Amino acid sequence: MSFVEKMSLSWLIVLAAIVAVRGFTDSDPGPGAAAATPLGGDRFKIEGRAIVPGVKAQDWVSTARVLVDGEDYVGFLRTDGGFSVNDVPSGSYVVEVVTPSYRFEPVRVDITSKGKMRARMVNYIKTSEVIRQPYPLQIRSSGPHSYFMKRETWGWTDFLMNPMVMMMVLPLLIIVLLPKVVNTNDPEMRKEMEQSMNMLNPNPELPDVSELMTKLFSGSKGSSKASSSKGTRPAVKRR
Amino acid sequence: MAKLILLLLKCILLCGTVYAVFEDQVGKFDWRQQYVGKVRFCHFDAHMQSSKKVLLATESNVFAALNTRTGEVLWRHVDKTGPEGNIDAFLQNGQDAVLVVGNGRFLRSWETNIGGLNWEAVLDSGSFQSACLIGQQGTVKNVAVLKKTAISLHYLSNGHQKWIENLPDSDTVDYQTVYSGGNSEVYVLGVVPHSHIAIVAFSGDDGEILQQSSVEAPWLSSIPESCQMVDQDLLICVDSTTMSLYTLDLKLQLQLNQIPLQSLELEVDPDFRPSLVSHQPNPAKQPRSEFFLQLAPDHYVLLQFNNGQLVVLRDFKPALLVSFATTGEKTVAAVMSPKNKTASSINLFNAETGRRLLDTTLIFTMDPNGGKPEKLNVQAFLKKDDSVGYRVMVQTKDHTLTFLQQPGRVLWTREEALSDVLTMEMVDLPLTGTQAELEGEFGKKTDGLMSMVFKRLSSQLILLQAWVAHLWKLFYDARKPRSQVKNDISMENLSRDEFNLQKMMVMVTASGKLFGIDSKTGGILWKHYLENIPSNAAFKLMVQRTTAHFPHPPQCTLLIKDKDTGLASLHVFNPIYGKMSHVSPPALPQPILQSLMLPFMDQDYAKVLLLIDDQYKVSAFPSTKYVLQQLQEMASSIFFFLVDSNQGRLSGYRLRTDLSTEQIWEVALPTETQKIVSVKGKKPNEHVHSQGRVMGDRSVLYKYLNPNLLAVVTESTDLHQERSFVGIILIDGVTGRIIHEAVQRKARGPVHVVHSENWVVYEYWSTKSRRNEFSVIELYEGMELYNSTAFSSLDRPLVPQVLQQSYIFPSSISTMEATLTEKGITSRHLLIGLPSGGILSLPKMFLDPRRPEMASEQSREENLIPYAPELMIRTEWFVNYNQTVSRVRGIYTAPSGLESTCLVVAYGLDIYHTRVYPSKQFDVLKDDYDYMLISSVLLALFFATMISKRLAEVKLLNRAWR
Repeated sequence: MSFVEKMSLSWLIVLAAIVAVRGFTDSDPGPGAAAATPLGGDRFKIEGRAIVPGVKAQDWVSTARVLVDGEDYVGFLRTDGGFSVNDVPSGSYVVEVVTPSYRFEPVRVDITSKGKMRARMVNYIKTSEVIRQPYPLQIRSSGPHSYFMKRETWGWTDFLMNPMVMMMVLPLLIIVLLPKVVNTNDPEMRKEMEQSMNMLNPNPELPDVSELMTKLFSGSKGSSKASSSKGTRPAVKRR
Repeated sequence: MAKLILLLLKCILLCGTVYAVFEDQVGKFDWRQQYVGKVRFCHFDAHMQSSKKVLLATESNVFAALNTRTGEVLWRHVDKTGPEGNIDAFLQNGQDAVLVVGNGRFLRSWETNIGGLNWEAVLDSGSFQSACLIGQQGTVKNVAVLKKTAISLHYLSNGHQKWIENLPDSDTVDYQTVYSGGNSEVYVLGVVPHSHIAIVAFSGDDGEILQQSSVEAPWLSSIPESCQMVDQDLLICVDSTTMSLYTLDLKLQLQLNQIPLQSLELEVDPDFRPSLVSHQPNPAKQPRSEFFLQLAPDHYVLLQFNNGQLVVLRDFKPALLVSFATTGEKTVAAVMSPKNKTASSINLFNAETGRRLLDTTLIFTMDPNGGKPEKLNVQAFLKKDDSVGYRVMVQTKDHTLTFLQQPGRVLWTREEALSDVLTMEMVDLPLTGTQAELEGEFGKKTDGLMSMVFKRLSSQLILLQAWVAHLWKLFYDARKPRSQVKNDISMENLSRDEFNLQKMMVMVTASGKLFGIDSKTGGILWKHYLENIPSNAAFKLMVQRTTAHFPHPPQCTLLIKDKDTGLASLHVFNPIYGKMSHVSPPALPQPILQSLMLPFMDQDYAKVLLLIDDQYKVSAFPSTKYVLQQLQEMASSIFFFLVDSNQGRLSGYRLRTDLSTEQIWEVALPTETQKIVSVKGKKPNEHVHSQGRVMGDRSVLYKYLNPNLLAVVTESTDLHQERSFVGIILIDGVTGRIIHEAVQRKARGPVHVVHSENWVVYEYWSTKSRRNEFSVIELYEGMELYNSTAFSSLDRPLVPQVLQQSYIFPSSISTMEATLTEKGITSRHLLIGLPSGGILSLPKMFLDPRRPEMASEQSREENLIPYAPELMIRTEWFVNYNQTVSRVRGIYTAPSGLESTCLVVAYGLDIYHTRVYPSKQFDVLKDDYDYMLISSVLLALFFATMISKRLAEVKLLNRAWR
């Protein structure tokens, strides 16, 4: 038996609940600091400077922000590229300079309850590993963001260098050029070739590539003697 | 380590083939609109005559500069949401803008030309009251910030504090405003409600109290509401009970001088609180001696203080809004007065004489579907002949900004309501007449053979006709210069495209304004302002009838509910044209708990909406006899559930035939330890193509596809980092059976969940490792399917197999959604909104609990990526490249007519629309498809065969002659 079952969310209540949760995260003093500093405890300032080599700070600071642990604390960049994020309680934070045009590496900043600062590399896997970085922060951009994939452009060289094409072209060359180099009309040569063919192909019943090739060779020279079937057809036409 | 690198390398190789944007696709099918929010403070950049900038500070905690010529955002700074980023005051001095932010916590100075910060100062705690610039000898050097208990002065050049002084008797006196008339004295005015005004004068140089006094004013309760500063240190107040104006000279501070309004032959409208509007063009100089007095909602009087005498300069009735503006030495007053129902005129008046300036009339036409004008911002400038010209920015109740110039030309409009979209739907556009004709042909099958043939021929003829018309239009347009050719969409030529890629986006905003936006261009096709929407309303938008049922018009229903009282109302409208439907919605006298759309329709093809009120009674809309009969038949198979997060209760109900309900299950979660944060079901329009997954050994692992499965997320009430946890419960919504339960210890929210197909992905903050983590749960039935024809919650004896895996994510996230396609064949991606503004398209393949630790032959066969703990964020995966979307609140995904293509709308402060191809465009030619190459190769082959044929003939002929 099949049931038509249909439900939807009690969306209103859920919405209310989500609002309540948002409220709580806003007032939360931050991770790692929940026990150390209650709200209204000491607040500190994270300072630093962001540099894009070769670009004047004025040209990009208007699009940039400093985010501490997502959007928990927000700082803005001064016209010289410097920044300070105020009102941060003690704890450990990931500080990130975000702008749509340039890439900056995030830095982890630890603040003790006395206000001592330390900056280190972000390592999410080994969280306790310490590779010191300068404080006040000096965040240097590693260049513009790469947002786009390169289109595969079509060029003759790409086409010719394609292994499939190479595999096609090489045998073609052999087919065309070999008969010119080797004189197939020479009966001795023919004999030699046939012998080698027979050695390669112990079963004469099976038509194979080599046989076809010899047929082709003879055909290209225009001689009708090579095979009887090929020779008779033009003969019929001649009449 | 080497192994890890190898793994990473493999990942990169695999990812290289995954979707990304190409540079030439920029702007081809995506668009972004940037908003700033409802304007709270507005200043025109006046320090340069030729400036094209207007600075806005908004209620969304955004400070932005707009180009006055185009209305585009020049730069924008988005602060934290909530009270911590709230902009309390905005003062402008030359090219610096000084902002007081976060209830007086920060003082920031912005360089407005480049949009960078000059300095930021942290102020002492205390609730903010007022701020003003302090001028001295014609120059402005300081800013004063008044808090509840203290006043501080700061240098404008670097933000350093000049001095801070406590206010005397701050426990009894409510200090409300600070004022400086340009002579280094700083007056702080406070009030003891219904008793007296307290005035303290500080020296601007060192903060010494120069004077302190109090003046009796038993009628006064709030200074900012009823008082203004005019002329030379003169405080003027208006009181409605005594019908009088009061003046007080701050220098002399003797007593209030009462001027009855009757002596000026003025009368206040009963039940109206009169107010004053004054103007101080330069903070280093005294305010103007002219001011407006508002006597009624549409009645203003321009008054002047002339040698201690009040003079009525001009009476404005009717007048909606007034404003002062200064340019050079000239000050003008702008007055907006209604002209007729849809238009009002704005005129300029000389502030000193009250005389009307010639040729300054500007007509403002109001949108009949918009709100009333709320505020007037005038940008005045001197013309070449020294007369005053002006432009005006009108703010209306529906958060629209309209920038006009004489004689009423709209330079630009901005719909700032769109900065706060709450919910949206995408609706298919209607078919054109010809398309409908074609579709109709396949509908009926009763006709005879001949008539069918004729029908087909005639419809083909119509198609041919349309095609010729299209060609003609193309030809005609080609001759015109490109600038004139507009392919803008209007209501008339609105029709579905071949692949149903263009849709109508119906957006519901917090202000109560509804928008219909064309998804191709982002143009607003219709807007409708719903008045009297409660400020805390919750909305739910439902599509009751799609465009597929011609000639019945499509129909959307918006459920508007007041969150406090629970009382709701319905707004029924046509989503294509935005018009109110003639269908009258039922009145809902009871608070509504739950609403659900049923999959069956009434005889007019409208889906049935069920509403459950707080008495657990069910009402249907539409509620025709046919529907009620259908409901009775179906009642035994209609179930619904309710969530009460306050009491931690989930309960399931069943519908009875008499439309009452019966509780069939209840799950209680102890509210002392945890609370329900969110409940997610599956999308009703989701299709799953494959029932199982083919394993490496060619056996099939069947998915557990329960359409009634709910993912309930709970968070612990204990927020200590050692004890906090996040729980997830998978529960069947029909039977209340708990399918699975998982707890993430040492974790806390906010939790973002996506629930789709047979998997649930959620993200949380790990307090132990201080990082964001993703976790994925997948449910499988096993190697055999229990009942493969239909799924029933009531008949599923086997418990599904549950697989789970977790990953590290190197950023926090704002929101998360999964892509959705027509038939569900295309692989799924997760769209993740990041706080940086990027929207990351993360293949679901990376969140697969079957990712093995060590790659084996079978796992390779299955294309499983070996497990790596950290997920990567690659900017190539950003679907919006550098078009960042600020404060993403939601991502809406909709299938298109192409299986490969999913339409995505991200909304927050900005709106961004694009298409994504999770498995690349496998069903259409790539847009870089080389038609030239393929046709030239074909042609070349064709000619080669022709030539070789000819050659062969020649050869045969030659041979014949031999």
